[in-house]
Amino acid sequence: MPNTLDLRRRIRSVKNTQQITKAMKMVSAAKLRRAQERALQARPYAQMLTAVLESLVRRTDLYNSATGEIVHPLLTEREEKNVLVLVIAGDKGFAGGFNANVGKAAQRFIDERIAAGQNVDLEALGKKAIGFYKRKYPAAVYEHKEELYDNDLAKHIEDVRHRAEPVEVTGEHPTVLMKAIFEDVAEIARSIIRRYEQAEIDSVYIVYNEFKSVLAQRLVVEKLLPIRKLGSPEITAAEEMTEEQKEAIAHAAASSGVTVLEPEDAEIEREAKKFGTADVDYIFDQEPELLFRHLMPRYVIIQIFHAILESVAAEHAARMTATDAATKNAGDLIEKLSLTMNRVRQAAITKEIIEIVSGAAAL
Amino acid sequence: MADRNNNSELLHVRLVTPDRVLLDSTASAVELPSISGYLEALYGAAPLLSELGAGEVRLHGGATGEQIFFVASGVVEVLPDRVTILAETALRPEEIDVKAAEAELVQSQEMWKQAGDEQQKYDEANTVARVAEEKIASATHRNATR
Repeated sequence: MPNTLDLRRRIRSVKNTQQITKAMKMVSAAKLRRAQERALQARPYAQMLTAVLESLVRRTDLYNSATGEIVHPLLTEREEKNVLVLVIAGDKGFAGGFNANVGKAAQRFIDERIAAGQNVDLEALGKKAIGFYKRKYPAAVYEHKEELYDNDLAKHIEDVRHRAEPVEVTGEHPTVLMKAIFEDVAEIARSIIRRYEQAEIDSVYIVYNEFKSVLAQRLVVEKLLPIRKLGSPEITAAEEMTEEQKEAIAHAAASSGVTVLEPEDAEIEREAKKFGTADVDYIFDQEPELLFRHLMPRYVIIQIFHAILESVAAEHAARMTATDAATKNAGDLIEKLSLTMNRVRQAAITKEIIEIVSGAAAL
Repeated sequence: MADRNNNSELLHVRLVTPDRVLLDSTASAVELPSISGYLEALYGAAPLLSELGAGEVRLHGGATGEQIFFVASGVVEVLPDRVTILAETALRPEEIDVKAAEAELVQSQEMWKQAGDEQQKYDEANTVARVAEEKIASATHRNATR
């Protein structure tokens, strides 16, 4: 039988923990609100870019008249031999199953590809994602080659990739998620686009947590390249939230004042969809094909940027839910411990009385 | 100048970056750096779609008065009553970090040296250099006129 002092100590300790988890929950809720706001504010740009690209597709002769295919390096489909996958997880733990779920979905994807005899390149975003593959898969090895031409005037510079394993890590990005600055994301995206254009990779997928609103989240595997259809991402696998998860997150959101539903399209967003689509004959400063070509990579960049913004919001939401559950569990534990403590105290008192009474009776 | 202050003939101007809608205002005239050089849009301009070069967007007249933004890489749509600018980079001249821009310029020269025989890499180096130069020009010009 534990004594009262021990129990009191335990209760105090659990109470302290509860205060910490409660504070963490409030912090996560505040960060979630900010992340949600950011993701929302970033939408007009993406919508406008998509709109203008769609409009350009309609207006210009981007199709090869012989094959009927759109002529652009980011639209050409090749047989998938080398696949690149971007894995976006979180920077920190204490977010329930958030990181583990991303890891599992990514692993399933990798295993499938390996089984199909394809090579996989990994780009890990976020400290936890890097952790998944640190010991598991080797980093890709590049050899820097510089070669002078015969005339000694021009130099051929090339980084040659030496692939040793079917699965290799080509990039680790531990700091992008923290601030999610567009320029940093663009740099990663450009390197991926370059590799795709040079046919080092044949397709690009992205594993991340989609976040439309607190109640509309899912873990998706999305095909980024080649682009099949503008404005509608190709989801190859998705894990919806369970009812249980939805309830837990709704509870956490309600107790910390986070909006649950997706806000209606603001006027700016409705107009954003019209960008570059007016029913007029535009004057083009340069060939529309050229404009299309220059804008396509930006579409890819913005897709990745959005995935990151949404994943960050989802991470905060997951942490908020996890810490909310922890706070609730701590409360339950305190209740249970208090009950035990009271019982123990009462038992001790009863015992003492019995001892006194029976002692008096013996006299 | 008289018609410039006429409220019914103001352009609706929006400057949108990947992060947010930076500016939503009106102007009687907008100067834009298109890829092939500066152009100015007035109310009733012919519809135009163009890639954005590096340089300054200047708004004249309108609700917020004269405004200057440094922009780089994007696309602009001009319609008779509105101008919408999509820019990956959009800064007020006083926000430009000249030291960082100078570092970018040095980096672009390094890129040029490392480009080897690939045209694409030279183009990239040129773009970086151009953006950096315009950034410095925009920031220092601002300081000079003050």
